[in-house]
Amino acid sequence: MTGTDLHEPHFALHVEDLTVAYRHAPVLWDIDLDVPPGVMCAVVGPNGAGKSTLLKAALGLVPPVAGHVRFFGLPYAKARQRVGYVPQRSTVDWDFPATALDVVLMGLYGRLGWFRRPGKAERAQALAALEAVAMADFAARPIADLSGGQQQRVFIARALVQQADLYILDEPMAGVDAVTEAAIVALLKGLRDSGRTVIVVHHDLQTVQRYFDWLVMLNIRVIAQGPVSEVYTPENLRRAFGGRVALIGGEA
Amino acid sequence: MTPGLDHTLGIVALGAAVLGATGGMLGSFAVLRRQSLLGDVLAHAALPGLCLGWLVAGRSVVPLMTGALLAGGLAALSVLAVGRFTRLKPDAALGIVLSVFFAAGVVMLSHVQAVGGAGAAGLSAFLFGQAAAMLQADLVAMAVVGGGAAVLVALFWKEIAAVCFDAPYARALGLPVGAIEALLTLLMAMAIVVGLQMVGVVLMTAMLIAPAVAARVWVSRLAPMVGLAAVFGVVAGVGGAVLSAGARGLATGPVVVLIATGIATVSLLLAPGRGVVWRLVRNRRLAARLEGLRVLDTLRAVAQAHGDPDYPAQTGMIAAAHGLPVDRQLRQLQAEGLVAAVCHPPEAAQHWVLTPEGRARLAMVGEKA
Repeated sequence: MTGTDLHEPHFALHVEDLTVAYRHAPVLWDIDLDVPPGVMCAVVGPNGAGKSTLLKAALGLVPPVAGHVRFFGLPYAKARQRVGYVPQRSTVDWDFPATALDVVLMGLYGRLGWFRRPGKAERAQALAALEAVAMADFAARPIADLSGGQQQRVFIARALVQQADLYILDEPMAGVDAVTEAAIVALLKGLRDSGRTVIVVHHDLQTVQRYFDWLVMLNIRVIAQGPVSEVYTPENLRRAFGGRVALIGGEA
Repeated sequence: MTPGLDHTLGIVALGAAVLGATGGMLGSFAVLRRQSLLGDVLAHAALPGLCLGWLVAGRSVVPLMTGALLAGGLAALSVLAVGRFTRLKPDAALGIVLSVFFAAGVVMLSHVQAVGGAGAAGLSAFLFGQAAAMLQADLVAMAVVGGGAAVLVALFWKEIAAVCFDAPYARALGLPVGAIEALLTLLMAMAIVVGLQMVGVVLMTAMLIAPAVAARVWVSRLAPMVGLAAVFGVVAGVGGAVLSAGARGLATGPVVVLIATGIATVSLLLAPGRGVVWRLVRNRRLAARLEGLRVLDTLRAVAQAHGDPDYPAQTGMIAAAHGLPVDRQLRQLQAEGLVAAVCHPPEAAQHWVLTPEGRARLAMVGEKA
């Protein structure tokens, strides 16, 4: 097989034998994972389960010890334009001198190529992305002046402007108010309903059944994966989280 | 003044302007990436490079600058290596590399001066800078390096901005983040090389940090920040050159640094929105407003205790219930139209009632259960 051949093209995300280690301690162990296109998928697991690392390894931000990852059958380097990434909000300094529009425009930098500056067309796209997260009125606002929920929406708009087929979000609902959370969920469901795939690292087990239709349970290894209705079981939750979690929301 | 002096002042002022513009522009990225200390390391590490350049070619600007650039690059790599192969925290890695390179530089400096005789005396000028010894060739070299840095920044502007704000995301987009980070380090070393003659290795880091910090509090976008930092740098540079030319015994480099840090101090104190003074005033206003609200709440409680929402309460009674003097707050609340002064015959003392506006303001905080 050469690098350009499609491998498992019928999955939006295909992960095989992925192992990641920091200083000899395995963070992800032998991950085999498939997410079909058109689902809204939650990745859940206890602290230290490797949820963020899984996303970063898939996106080539963390070097794996072993294994490979394919997006729509392609290695990430060839599928970048089809994948939009929303990192955790806390990973950047929001005191950076930029407006909301400036940040969203950065989502287009990968596509623009060397020495080209964003022009009128790019600004219009960025404004449309801000519109989609109900932040158009804040386009000219410095990001330092935005609330946490507004900053999160700007981050999502930065991925939306890429017009990707797969969106990968790391804890987008962490530390935002209930109104923002509802807006984000509605937006993500809208993306899924238009045929896009959405993968979300999620920390709130209570809302898994309401928000998502696909579920990956992770704790260093993959504990379970599949439709939420099949995977969200007391047995799986116990295996992923240990005895510490009480099943909320009754039988799936 | 003699024409010769004018000529020197012209060269010094131009050099200081180039230094200020370059330092301000490139320092902005260092400050935003929280790498100001790396600038200090590169500056101190330039000293052994300067000594080597001197040993090879004597007082000649290109070998000196090359030596400083190479030593800075070696120091930057050392910081990376210490960080990767030991468990030292970044600040410790920076401190150790700075000390080692600077110590090596001082040892080489004293050795070169011991064996090199009078000719090598000029080398120690690079410790704190010696603007007066600047030659036209130095100015040309500074302008070339500074101009080159500006061109690089303009060419790679959007990549630099993306890496400064969110490097992992930039990498996910496919931007060559490692190369841009290396470019930013190289640019920082270039800024330092520009300043060596003028302010020297010890103080150079201030010319990176101070203009950038000052600019940040006045503007809130990247391009204006970089531009304003360059302007502040030029003002400090030219101001320092002119000041030290007009007075005897003022070293140009340190004066330039003092002006730059002075601009930063004033900016941090006074800038609207972000300045310390501005925030103090705002906090005091908020505190006064809160205190007024509490007096308003007390007035309501007193009226309620009398079973009449429009009960006129005497100033002393409100103060007793509040536990603190309330005259000033009541007058302020009256000015805002939240309370009204009324007469309560037959008593002569001032009495107060809540106005509808006052009741509306109280509704914002609800009522004690």
